[in-house]
Amino acid sequence: MNPFDLSGKVICITGASSGIGRQCAISCSQFGATVVLLARNEERLAETLSLMEHSQKHIAFSVDLTDYEKVSQVVKDAVAKVGRMNGILHSAGISTTLPLKLVTPDKLEVFFQSNVFSAYNLTREICKMGNFSKDGGSIVFFSSVMGKTGASGKSLYSMTKGALLAGARSLACELAPKKIRVNTVSPGVVITPINCNLPHISDLERRKITEQQHLLGLGETTDIANACIYLLSDAAKWVTGIDLCVDGGYTAR
Amino acid sequence: MEQKFLDSLKEAMDIEAHEINMTDNFRDYEEWSSLTYLSVIAMLDEEYDFQIEESDFRKLHTVADLYNAVNSK
Repeated sequence: MNPFDLSGKVICITGASSGIGRQCAISCSQFGATVVLLARNEERLAETLSLMEHSQKHIAFSVDLTDYEKVSQVVKDAVAKVGRMNGILHSAGISTTLPLKLVTPDKLEVFFQSNVFSAYNLTREICKMGNFSKDGGSIVFFSSVMGKTGASGKSLYSMTKGALLAGARSLACELAPKKIRVNTVSPGVVITPINCNLPHISDLERRKITEQQHLLGLGETTDIANACIYLLSDAAKWVTGIDLCVDGGYTAR
Repeated sequence: MEQKFLDSLKEAMDIEAHEINMTDNFRDYEEWSSLTYLSVIAMLDEEYDFQIEESDFRKLHTVADLYNAVNSK
């Protein structure tokens, strides 16, 4: 028996329309899970679905995760269609590099809503009575190496990622009686369709510096998805409240 | 009225594995904890506009005690 098998499990994945979230959806389907995909862009969600194994058994909802009322309805609809959830993979999030003086209260609000409040609210909805499997399961938030180390211009992003790390530990304590495990994954810099156009990757000089910060070079989306498969699966049944750094050695020094 | 109260109490305590009855001592439920206590207090406040001090709450033992306290306000 494969300890990483996800057959029979219903996993809700946010940010499933691109990058790491999309790869996680594909990988979860390959490991047998039924996936509930959430993201804003309907077309790209459909594209993710088409790349997944057994695409007909998964369902996708186009939703803005900060539209809390709609999220509540979507969770109910999803459970009615594919059954109770066994896991959440919250990969939706936004990133930026901004100096202190440009981080306005409005920016703080937007980033905390997208990266923190939406993760917490979705967890709250899925953990409501009747939505989560009675057998328990696994919740994974995406933090970042920026949630535990610093870099100029990253304070706003770092604060949101640090909040997820901190919140996950207390949720791990609170949800353990329900056999729900809560962990975070902290990726280093991974090449995705979105960031390959950003200066730290597209500019060769800057890319070299970014690469040198990671002992093993830059990551691929599958590196992160594999870590998520582990945390979602029964292979990690004794693992809760941890942060799994998948960062090519970024935090080793 | 009584059934609605029981349903609200079940939901506040996340009880789905078993039924609850008026004669039950709610502290005996497996689900009872300091956190479910807070959820119950919040439910009584929100749904029944009923506030209660912890010292008074301690005097309540059965589901019926809770129900009667709410209805006697």
